[in-house]
Amino acid sequence: MRMTETPINVTFDGHAITAAPGTSLIQAWMSAGLPLTENVGCMGQGVCGACRVLVRREGERIAQAALACETRAEPGMQVSFVDHFPARRAHSYDLAAMGDSWAALGAIDTVFPEAKSCRHCGGCDASCPKGIEVEKAVNLAVEGQAMAAGALFDHCIMCNLCVAACPEHIAPAHLGQFLRRMSASLSLRPGDLVLRLAEIEAGRQTIDLEGPQP
Amino acid sequence: MIAWEAARAAPRDNAAPPPNLPKEELLRRFHPDHAPGAMTALRLGASAGQPCPTELAALLHANALIQDVDIAGSAMRDADVLVIGAGGAGCVAALTAARAGARVLLVSKLRMGDGNTVMAEGGIQAAIGADDSLQKHYEDTLRAGHFRAERALVAAMVSDGPQAIRWLIQQGMGFDLAEGEERVGGRMLRKTPGGATAARLLSYHDYTGLEMMRVLREAVLLTPGIMVLERHPAIEMLTDAHGACAGAVLLDLEQRRLMLARAGATVLSTGGAGRLHLSGFPTSNHYGATADGLVLAYRLGAKLREMESFQYHPTGIAWPPHLAGTLISEAARAAGAVMHNGLGQRFIDELAPRDVVAAAILRELAEGRGLEREGCAGVLLDTPGLEAAHPGILKKRLVTLSHLAQRAGFDPAVEPYLIRPTLHYQNGGIAIDEAGRTAVRGLLCAGEASGGLHGLNRLMGNALLELVAFGRRAGSAAAEAVRQERPRGVGLTHLAVWERGLVAAGLPLDQRAPMLFPPYGNVDVAGLLRAAARVPA
Repeated sequence: MRMTETPINVTFDGHAITAAPGTSLIQAWMSAGLPLTENVGCMGQGVCGACRVLVRREGERIAQAALACETRAEPGMQVSFVDHFPARRAHSYDLAAMGDSWAALGAIDTVFPEAKSCRHCGGCDASCPKGIEVEKAVNLAVEGQAMAAGALFDHCIMCNLCVAACPEHIAPAHLGQFLRRMSASLSLRPGDLVLRLAEIEAGRQTIDLEGPQP
Repeated sequence: MIAWEAARAAPRDNAAPPPNLPKEELLRRFHPDHAPGAMTALRLGASAGQPCPTELAALLHANALIQDVDIAGSAMRDADVLVIGAGGAGCVAALTAARAGARVLLVSKLRMGDGNTVMAEGGIQAAIGADDSLQKHYEDTLRAGHFRAERALVAAMVSDGPQAIRWLIQQGMGFDLAEGEERVGGRMLRKTPGGATAARLLSYHDYTGLEMMRVLREAVLLTPGIMVLERHPAIEMLTDAHGACAGAVLLDLEQRRLMLARAGATVLSTGGAGRLHLSGFPTSNHYGATADGLVLAYRLGAKLREMESFQYHPTGIAWPPHLAGTLISEAARAAGAVMHNGLGQRFIDELAPRDVVAAAILRELAEGRGLEREGCAGVLLDTPGLEAAHPGILKKRLVTLSHLAQRAGFDPAVEPYLIRPTLHYQNGGIAIDEAGRTAVRGLLCAGEASGGLHGLNRLMGNALLELVAFGRRAGSAAAEAVRQERPRGVGLTHLAVWERGLVAAGLPLDQRAPMLFPPYGNVDVAGLLRAAARVPA
């Protein structure tokens, strides 16, 4: 049974700690009594991207990027948190001002001019904890294939590891977010929603406050 | 309790469940809100006498972390609108206030977006179907909340529904369309949440909250007029000479110093309280859900309501232990997954309201019909049965569920999940009006921290709607309020009143709150504050 299994030794941010089998790296950090005020958010769902770590497994030469809440402690692992830089307002655009959808594809190069300088180093792909084909998506975006490129970023949690990895400062995660936002805001117009909004504006959807009683 | 292997070997009966106890009796006997000792009457403050979970009452009965002298030399930062908490509600409020012309300071204990919103899976309710209406949404919400919600607030929320979806699309959020529908003019994919009378749940796969939060976060970063301070928890509110809210004292965790954020209007959007682990329950909430906003607002004079009501989501993971409390979306049951007890029987309509389903599961456990696996107790969520009935559904539509199973080390198409209720949502909270204003002048509230929208039980999909609807209402009212006055004589004058109240109620002065981080986070808040007091501004 789990409780009787041998504890696992891990080095985490320079601390030699012991983890119970089956526990995630973030749980191992807390069980070791280490303080946790950053690099933590959803605690296991793998959706917030806060707990970025570099992990080197025993016997391996290369460290891999991962999320500490999703990665189980293994014997001999070396782990360190990858801190977040303060958010910057790079690659700025205003969706509301992009009224002309003919100009939308051109905006990709205006807002993300570095994208065309991709040197195909694969750093972004290697850094993505969700296995997204980041480099392919960036190149599709440069070719104007906005929807196809945006779709590749569908599982992106905006952990920004690809942003840190890119030597050309392309900011792939933000490029992906730009494409996906542009697509929704310029081309998603559900008919049933539009009809209901018109009904509401015409005063044909009133609410009887006294409605049902217990 | 029945052992896992024995229960798994027993044949499963998919016949409709026999009638359970009458709803009210089931809740009274088995819902955690009604357990003996779960509640304590509040002993001071604007809602004295009201019942409140014992763990939360301990924080509401506490003294402040700081006193006047601690902030004497602190740096001051001015804004028109201060927004505390940068999850969904906070980001929506900040965007709305900034676009109305206010200079906004958006502060967060963790990083922007690392809250409960990003974890929401199921979807957002909005009555857009031809077979649906605002009235139906209104009635479903009231009924699910046992008629304890504030009617005017519910009407405001459901009326905002369709506009909220349009607003989200304008920000760049995607939604699923029904099979084969076109992006222009097509119909949206609508699902029926438990307790609703029409298909009203709009979604983006089973990670609607992630899609919403990544759009909101990007919009905030690109909107001029919003300054974001991460790792800056609010540790006390500031008051002006007349007792109105004038901003907050922030603790800069990076530089370890205090900062005064002075603002004409303050929006609290600090979320919920799952990390208090009420009655010892695991939680589906994010790491920072420690009720900080409730503590600060209550000390300042805000009223609380339905504080005795929390939502325990029926399907939290019970095994394996390292994932205990993690949520399995209601989408699985909405798609047709049934639950079995240790005898292989169904025991409740799986799509009854969440409080009823959770109480029914706890009844099975209390009466010995649960299962036990490696010391973890629960009942079964029949994912293999769902997959057999709808081949491919687990991989295609329940992505998060399948991903979780992979991390738990089993195949959900072969093996069912062992589940038990997990502490999920704070149904009540800080009392607000239709503009998001609290009883304290200058203080507004939106999102899970606020109360009155859900009565005693929240419908799936109403949390995401609430945070958009009331984030916009509070953001707009805050920007409006700013133009009227600026705070003067800013300090901590309300604490003297509070301390007198503590003494009068016979409560100790040395218990401190808010807690900021759960105890297992090993954070020495008192030590951080001592360090902050030593650092000159």
